[in-house]
Amino acid sequence: MFDFIVGKYNYWIHIILMMIGFYAMMSKRNLIKKIIGMNIFQTAIIIFFISIAAKRGATLPILEHAHDGGEHAIEAISYINPLPHVLMLTAIVVMVATLGVALAVVILVYRKYDTLEEAEILKKIK
Amino acid sequence: MILLFDFAILIFVLICAVAAITVKDLLSSVIILAAYSFLLCLLWAGMGAVDVAFTEASVGAGIGTILLIVAVSKTTRRSKD
Amino acid sequence: MRILSLIIVILTAAVLIYGTLDMPDCGNPDTPASQHVSPRYVTRTMEETATPNIVTSVLGDYRGYDTLGETTVIFSAGMACILILRKRRRQ
Repeated sequence: MFDFIVGKYNYWIHIILMMIGFYAMMSKRNLIKKIIGMNIFQTAIIIFFISIAAKRGATLPILEHAHDGGEHAIEAISYINPLPHVLMLTAIVVMVATLGVALAVVILVYRKYDTLEEAEILKKIK
Repeated sequence: MILLFDFAILIFVLICAVAAITVKDLLSSVIILAAYSFLLCLLWAGMGAVDVAFTEASVGAGIGTILLIVAVSKTTRRSKD
Repeated sequence: MRILSLIIVILTAAVLIYGTLDMPDCGNPDTPASQHVSPRYVTRTMEETATPNIVTSVLGDYRGYDTLGETTVIFSAGMACILILRKRRRQ
């Protein structure tokens, strides 16, 4: 039972983090709070993928003794899985691009309606 | 991965996430989000994902915070929830 | 509205936590995610790309088109920001 909890608890904390972002996206009425919730959601997904890649007793995905002429055999089990790192590297940059476009739209909304609260914007649209 | 180190940083990350969406002032919420990003960067460096930690520290915590501060300073700091 | 979103969040969290019960433990070296593609990247990166850092070799050589698509995304995001925030003459 203790091994079960130790093996799984970080997945549960990542899910709680993701749900905090989801709740902020759904129920907060301020537009910048919604964007902060979206940021938390995306980082929770990224941290989940990185924790899949972790291996016990392995080193960083940078080859040791790489320029010795190949005397040391390279075994895949002694290096951390590099593939999720690459995919999440792409995802972080796309996350910041999404954040920039969303904030540009928020600034445009503020210029037109002079508020960031959803209820007041809806009242002014009518 | 050191178990206790990992667990402590995860708890700090949770506290920062809850604080970032409950604080009423938007500027302090953005600064708490920057602290959240740096704690995540520390966690990834502990998991062995060094390149992802670098990218998060420079792009996620640096440029993202700057974009959010610019947006808050061009709009308003007050929030109702 | 707040009660409804709280219920949705709790239901989604329950489903996701039920999904993690069958996942391999964190740090297990025999997971299916690290069995299939990445051993080839790790073992042959030196003879194929001559880069000791495996993340860099996968990002720049094996999956270069992926990085090209990412650059396209950043370019279109920058263009969208400029088009949204520019001052309009009329109005």
